[in-house]
Amino acid sequence: MVDVLIAIKLRALRRTLHGWTGTAYVLMAVAGLSTALVCVAFMALFPGGITVRVDIAATVFAVWTLGWLFGPVLGASDETLRPENFALLPLRPTALASGLLGASLVGVAPLVTALIMFGLVLVAIPAGIGAVLVAVVAAAGQLALAVLLSRVVFAGLGAALASRRGRDLGVLLGALVGLAYLPIIMLTPHLEPLVVDRTSPLFTAVLHGLPTGWGPGAVAAAAEGRWAVALGLLAALGVLDTLLVVAWSRLLVRRLTTAQPTARSQAAGSRRGALRTVLPDSPLGAVIGKELLLWWRDTRRKALMFSSLLIGILLPVFYTWQNSSLVPLASAGIWIVVFASLQCGNVYGMDGSAVWQTLVAPAAAQVDVRGRQLAWLLIVGPCTLLAVAVLPAVTGTAEWYPWQLAIVAALLGAGSGTFVLASVRAPVPMPTKGGSPFATGPGGTAGKVVNAFAMMGRLLLVVLPPLAVLVAGAITGWSALAWAAVPLGVACGIWAAWRWGGKAAQQVSERGPELLAAVRLPV
Amino acid sequence: MSRRAGATDPWWMDAALTIAGLSKRFGPTVAVHDVHLTVARGSFFGLVGPNGAGKTTALSMAVGLVRPDAGAVRIFDHDVWADPVRAKELVGVLPDGLSLPERLTGRELLTYSARLRGLDRATAAERASELLAVLALTDAEHTVVIDYSAGMRKKIGLAAALLHAPKLLVLDEPFEAVDPVSASTIRTILQRFVAAGGAVVLSSHVMALVEKLCDHVAVIARGQVVASGRVDEVRGAGNLEDAFVSLVGGQVGGEEGLSWLTS
Repeated sequence: MVDVLIAIKLRALRRTLHGWTGTAYVLMAVAGLSTALVCVAFMALFPGGITVRVDIAATVFAVWTLGWLFGPVLGASDETLRPENFALLPLRPTALASGLLGASLVGVAPLVTALIMFGLVLVAIPAGIGAVLVAVVAAAGQLALAVLLSRVVFAGLGAALASRRGRDLGVLLGALVGLAYLPIIMLTPHLEPLVVDRTSPLFTAVLHGLPTGWGPGAVAAAAEGRWAVALGLLAALGVLDTLLVVAWSRLLVRRLTTAQPTARSQAAGSRRGALRTVLPDSPLGAVIGKELLLWWRDTRRKALMFSSLLIGILLPVFYTWQNSSLVPLASAGIWIVVFASLQCGNVYGMDGSAVWQTLVAPAAAQVDVRGRQLAWLLIVGPCTLLAVAVLPAVTGTAEWYPWQLAIVAALLGAGSGTFVLASVRAPVPMPTKGGSPFATGPGGTAGKVVNAFAMMGRLLLVVLPPLAVLVAGAITGWSALAWAAVPLGVACGIWAAWRWGGKAAQQVSERGPELLAAVRLPV
Repeated sequence: MSRRAGATDPWWMDAALTIAGLSKRFGPTVAVHDVHLTVARGSFFGLVGPNGAGKTTALSMAVGLVRPDAGAVRIFDHDVWADPVRAKELVGVLPDGLSLPERLTGRELLTYSARLRGLDRATAAERASELLAVLALTDAEHTVVIDYSAGMRKKIGLAAALLHAPKLLVLDEPFEAVDPVSASTIRTILQRFVAAGGAVVLSSHVMALVEKLCDHVAVIARGQVVASGRVDEVRGAGNLEDAFVSLVGGQVGGEEGLSWLTS
């Protein structure tokens, strides 16, 4: 079972690795492996005794396992092997879960994680052969723990989203889980004294108490000759892994036996009535109306939009807390636009092959792209402008108003241009039914990273002119100059929205069949 | 079967769809090779062929959803690639195996499709209601398309193809998974459409249906047209199914092997 699933996974991986996705995948692999080597070197070579090194290993394992937990929610999840494909096989759910676990261990991320986990063996070498044997078992257990936790969280989210009521809750939950990463980023600068000098007994206790610390703990115990403790910790790790396999199989059964939920049609009726009075009676109005409905109804789209708005607000809150400066909070508007445009860089991929409707309608490409831009602006714009209007005044940083307005105006236009352009230029097909709204198709993660960098570059480009004027204003002390940056920002934004939206429309119109082929998920 | 009598008109004089030398490869696989077809105005044209013969690829190229490697397509004398706007105004398309905006309800999908093609709200709503009623989808008009059955998807797709009153319909497997009553309705709609001077091209696996409905037929196998013409010409003395089997060089199997299944 496991070997068959691994073979399928490898075959699927090989099929997707060509062209620029392949290049991006290789680049990610190199980056991942370098990170792994640095982590292992840190664990194995840090000056000090085995106690310090074990603590470092426990920290690295905790951070890395958390990464596995948040990965799916942040969009780095690959559902190449869909459990639905195996639903009719006469298999016990635990056997299917174990098989899928084996297949989950294929890929760059598991390889990098495995390297790091098995770095524990290097830590154990000075302590003798017994400790090394414990470390080998512990590393395997920790690797399984990371992957299983990730799978169970992913499946749990999918299960939560499968019920009509749970769907909105699940989206919120997903966004919050993603945000839980932020306190960890904040902690990083304070990590060294905590780990190496053990300045906080509580921190050390938590580090060892968490399941991610059990493997390193077993090695430490073995090094001290406390074999009962070492074996006990290994056994506990084994039991936890087994429980996770059982939990995962339960969730798989639920996923495979629960029907897809239906949308709320009555609510849709009234909403459409409200839209009708505002939107123009034209093809453009039709596209805007459809897009707004889809942003509201499509769980995956809603999850993306909601989490980007939430991260846009909460990230500056954390930065403000960390730096005790109110400027980051005041600039929440900027964060909202940036996240909303980066997250939406695959709208054609999300819609899948439904784009054929645009391709067979006469001259609809232009309308489709512009409608998507305007619908995005209608959602992101008000949230951003509200944040920009309120936050500087509330936080007592009113002198930043020209900065905020100029940059947000430029970014809104640039964001609405760059997300459609990225969606057209580098579409990634996505599974249409079942599973979690955060799932992507094979090779999707690498593509997303490259796409995100291109988008950030474009956003930065558009911000530069107003930023230059703002800086000049600050240096010379002319407030009039700073305010002059606002219309410049607006102009830059309009230019970018017009120009990049036009390029996107041109590509949809001229390369429509290629776009359709790219967003179709091979059946 | 008055259509067949009408088909003795000089149909080639006035083509609704002309396909000339279409070819398409996907990697090493030749999907369609040098296909020529002419569909007259007022003609009901069936495209038949075994699984994987290239029917869907050929029809997708004819309406601009797949870019051909070679060849040309004209819809009422407008080149699909050089003059796409006019060509697309005249054609209604039902593709096979492509998704729809899944989170729209049936009614929303129809009004959206109509308005995307420039119809005003009132006309779009009126035509959508009429089509939903005729195709027995009114009960499901507020259900999102993702919850539709395969047959309902075909019907809503067909409704979307008809909305803008095209002159040519290109339908990929329009009867697949459709219940007998709805199939009969669709047949009547299409026959009225053809009688009024429209042209229909449809692909199907069901020979009896093509024989009953179409006045012209093309048999496509391994990406090439192996026979084309009036239905009575192509089928010869026997029925279309026998002609089809001998044309595609197929052997009706199932007698040999598989001993483990019957033991």
